[in-house]
Amino acid sequence: MYDELIAALDAERVLQTPLALHVYGRDAGVYRGQPAVVVLPETTAEVVRVVEIANRHEVPVVARGAGTGLAAGAVATEGGIVLVTTKMNRIEEIDPDNRTALVGPGVINLDLSKAAEPYALHFAPDPSSQAACTIGGNVANNSGGPHCLAEGSTVNHVLALEVVLADGSVAMVGSAAPDPIGLDLRGLLVGSEGTLAIVTKILVRLLPNPPDVRTLLCSFDSIADAAATVSGIIAAGIVPAALEMMDQAITRAVENWLHAGLPTDATAILLAEVVGDTAAVEAEAKVMAEVAHAHHARDVRMAADDSERALLWKGRKAAFGAVAQAAPNYYLHDTVVPRTRLVETMAKVYEIGARHELQMLNVFHAGDGNLHPLMVFDASVPGMTEKVQQAADELVAACVAVGGVLSGEHGIGREKRDLMPLMFSATDLDAQARIKETFDPHNRFNPGKVLPTGARCFDLGASVPPGAWV
Amino acid sequence: MSIRAARTEVASRALLGEGVETLHPSSIDEMAETLAEATAKKRHTLIWGGGTHQGIGYRVDPDLVIFTDHLARVIDWEPDDLTVVVEGGVKIADLEALLATRGQTAVLPEDPGGGTVGGMMAAGVSGFRRARYGPTRDRILEVQAVTGDGRIVKGGGRVVKNVTGYDLPRVVVGSFGSLGVIVSCCLKLWPTPRSTATLTIEPGRLVDVHRPLAVLSDRSSTKIYLGGTEAEVGNQVTRLGGETQNELVWPAVPYRTWAFSLRVPPQTAAGLIAGMPADADFIHQVGIGEITIAAPSSDGMAMLRSKAEAVGGALIVTRAADDGFDPWGTPPPTLDLQRKLIAAFDPQRVINPGRLPGRI
Repeated sequence: MYDELIAALDAERVLQTPLALHVYGRDAGVYRGQPAVVVLPETTAEVVRVVEIANRHEVPVVARGAGTGLAAGAVATEGGIVLVTTKMNRIEEIDPDNRTALVGPGVINLDLSKAAEPYALHFAPDPSSQAACTIGGNVANNSGGPHCLAEGSTVNHVLALEVVLADGSVAMVGSAAPDPIGLDLRGLLVGSEGTLAIVTKILVRLLPNPPDVRTLLCSFDSIADAAATVSGIIAAGIVPAALEMMDQAITRAVENWLHAGLPTDATAILLAEVVGDTAAVEAEAKVMAEVAHAHHARDVRMAADDSERALLWKGRKAAFGAVAQAAPNYYLHDTVVPRTRLVETMAKVYEIGARHELQMLNVFHAGDGNLHPLMVFDASVPGMTEKVQQAADELVAACVAVGGVLSGEHGIGREKRDLMPLMFSATDLDAQARIKETFDPHNRFNPGKVLPTGARCFDLGASVPPGAWV
Repeated sequence: MSIRAARTEVASRALLGEGVETLHPSSIDEMAETLAEATAKKRHTLIWGGGTHQGIGYRVDPDLVIFTDHLARVIDWEPDDLTVVVEGGVKIADLEALLATRGQTAVLPEDPGGGTVGGMMAAGVSGFRRARYGPTRDRILEVQAVTGDGRIVKGGGRVVKNVTGYDLPRVVVGSFGSLGVIVSCCLKLWPTPRSTATLTIEPGRLVDVHRPLAVLSDRSSTKIYLGGTEAEVGNQVTRLGGETQNELVWPAVPYRTWAFSLRVPPQTAAGLIAGMPADADFIHQVGIGEITIAAPSSDGMAMLRSKAEAVGGALIVTRAADDGFDPWGTPPPTLDLQRKLIAAFDPQRVINPGRLPGRI
């Protein structure tokens, strides 16, 4: 197979060294894969050849962007070929009139917005990892980010996809025209985590940069007051561009590291941003400040200028980097609950942390109800890994119990696949399995992800393999 | 198997033809039973919500018509979560009236007639306000559908952000029942703007408008629909000028013997409109690329269709006198995959058989 791959690409883009297999055998999470070989195609034709070779040798193909995912969606847990898209990183066209861009899957999220900047346009999804993550990865996981509250997740911004199907054929789905006729396969492909097809080109929608922006930093003595402010802002008829909450533990970690000017004595802080017409954002910022004060905010501060605003956002987006100082290992979760269940869910999160004697840090997309509880720990302490695993399972169960879902933006991957029966019946999962089977009858693409093996293999203990933390 | 669903004589029997059975399932289980039996007997089944989109697609000659009018309950409305869960047979007008009592909207089509939520989703249509809030498919959070062979399948979740398995709600939109009858769904809601305005300006005038609810153009004028805070709306009204009404005055959808939906990349729309038959009326959703056309005949539409398809778009018939003009045009290139996918949900192909592009 190695020789065939070299003939199909070239020797420099077919990697089999122990280092390459190690680096490309993992993502930013805890799972480790065992790829047989790593390939870095540059064109759609090369992807086709790789898929054809994989078919001949009956081995899996696992597509991988930058590997910033946390759910092992790009980890070759069942071996085979890891197909890295980072060399398919051309921005082929930016069309300012139609407000679209045609990009390769390996284009880095932030690079696209930078390239669109001269036209006063931007790509709306802005995951915290946007300086590293690829748009192909965003498509695979239907990634969000702080600003998807008003503008939606990746799926809302994908107009068309060129994909390589399991039989090696190339298909184009969607176009720049609205409402394609027939089934809208784009919707299935976005968020399918590389299990249905390999995306080779993406036509995305770009949004005009807003004329003006106001960013408020509100601090509170309780999570409940901050959460009530979130609901109050929405109830006042405002859907902010972003509405982010950070608790005291994470704020202190960020401040120690970055000095972003976040108040470390508040129990919770809320970062609220409105964009639009100058008169509009001023009026909305005023209403949001009033709502915050009505819910006992101890302080409401407006970013004075772009640099202060940038610093506040840097503090928010760097939060996960900042936790490294708290403990050597961390485990980050991603669940969504209905916004009205935020307060009780947060209480439950802290209760689970306290019961397992684990420090819980929280920074999350409050406007969406998208939680990111973060547990920090030292995996070298005996029994700690099991404890974290137990707490994580309890967390997910608690979120689903109040009507929540397993993942808001990180995906299911390998990490949560066995938790799917918490949300879906055997019939529901069977329908999903039929979709997979239709696209990929030989289970070639990213096997062992998203859907539990067998119809009903619900096994909480299998969600995180023991010893995977080091 | 006994079907408990009420059996009724249909008033429009002449329309449906002799020997067509009609059923009104009043629960999801009844719907499942009905469709399982339809599959067992291979009965061609037409699903009827409000009947407002029955003009789209190839004609179905049904043995059975299933009405969704007895599946019309609002199941759960959480104003603070901005979500509502309704059954598929709920009328759009009824739902919007209910939501308005708490200052919310599901941003459903503005002129729905007797249309239902399930029908609108199955037909994949959106209202004018998609310019601000996105198309219907962006606002369906969870769906429960009964497949052609009677399975009750759920996808998505009742939260505004979700990536948990394949996005069934999104692919069900526009599927014309081929993946299942939409028996319930969870819709994302938005607060109704505090202040609104409709500005009328001369057609063709270029304006820089920020986050309009819609911009609609016809032969005589362009209307800009604004919504938001008083400051946002008032400021833009002052800046843009034009004749102003302090409310949203939506146009009536033009009604003629023939109706079409032209869907093209937004910047190509003006050029295509220039080539439209002179006797056709239209509403152009500027910036979206959807043009609703009403015309006395299909003359000139084949030419318009070929131009639309050349830029990646489509021209579909939404209401027609049957004269052989194809309702869809060139089917999408993934037809084989679509056929297989539909077979996984409706193996005997009983729901709206042959209605979709490619006569799937």
